[in-house]
Amino acid sequence: MEPVVLYGTSWCAQTQLLRRLLERLGVPYRYVDLEAHPEVHPTLRFLTGGRLSHPVVYVGGEVLVEPTPAELERALWRRGYLWW
Amino acid sequence: MRFPELARRFLELEPRLAEGPEKEALSLLHAMLQELWREVGARPGEREGLEALRNLYKKAPKMEAPRVAPGLSVGERAPDFALPDAQDNLVRLSDFRGRPVVLVFYPLDWSPGCSQQLDLYQAELPEFERRNAVLLGISVDSIYCHGAFAFARGLTFPLLADFHPKGEVARRYRVWREEDGFSERALFVVDPEGVIRYAHVSPYLHHIPPIEELFQALDALRRE
Repeated sequence: MEPVVLYGTSWCAQTQLLRRLLERLGVPYRYVDLEAHPEVHPTLRFLTGGRLSHPVVYVGGEVLVEPTPAELERALWRRGYLWW
Repeated sequence: MRFPELARRFLELEPRLAEGPEKEALSLLHAMLQELWREVGARPGEREGLEALRNLYKKAPKMEAPRVAPGLSVGERAPDFALPDAQDNLVRLSDFRGRPVVLVFYPLDWSPGCSQQLDLYQAELPEFERRNAVLLGISVDSIYCHGAFAFARGLTFPLLADFHPKGEVARRYRVWREEDGFSERALFVVDPEGVIRYAHVSPYLHHIPPIEELFQALDALRRE
């Protein structure tokens, strides 16, 4: 199973909220800081229709742009990252 | 499942696509597909009513100005204050002597950074409670505005109205933005004796410091 990837910034509250949610849910994920890794910006812009926003979460092929906690949880269920 | 495999192949093709309208069209199509997931997955009415109100900040004017006020420093005594909460109960800092207090000065209810910051603290409230810490939000909004804002977002910690004289407490903590008529985004951890032990004024209004810094400051108090 592909790892969940969360793209965000250290000072973004929504990034922090979703990171802590993933940790509470016990879902392993890779965090990519958008300020430290400008090389990912073009691909991310491509996937999000041109807008570099944060946080963006990659869940098994789905690209969630600034999801609410409920939207992120639903994607995790849909893609099999949560199953209990 | 076939979907992740298709998505991966799509992603792998991206670097090989030449810049131009075709690539832009594919990007837009991909983004439209992703937005469909959001709409299909939502429960009926979930994105209307109160949820729409909660998300208004996403389309609100941005608030990204740099810091202008320095804030009080670590080691200084935290000035006492008496401000009303949304139920018009007068809350004094000195009411909480003996417990650590986190003062959260924020610019305005409903604005983009503030909505997200307070949502984060609400989600982490058990972590503050575990550390016996009191969390107090402070802005220049009225008690009625605080009441509506807290209800819409499900915020259960007190929001205090630094409303009249406007911003007086923010001035005392040296986080007042005179040109704007609201405060900096600033955090102070006040120890059980009333001394500031952590102070952070955001370098830009939309910057919210990592919440782990707050927890570390509270944990350091407990170790002493």
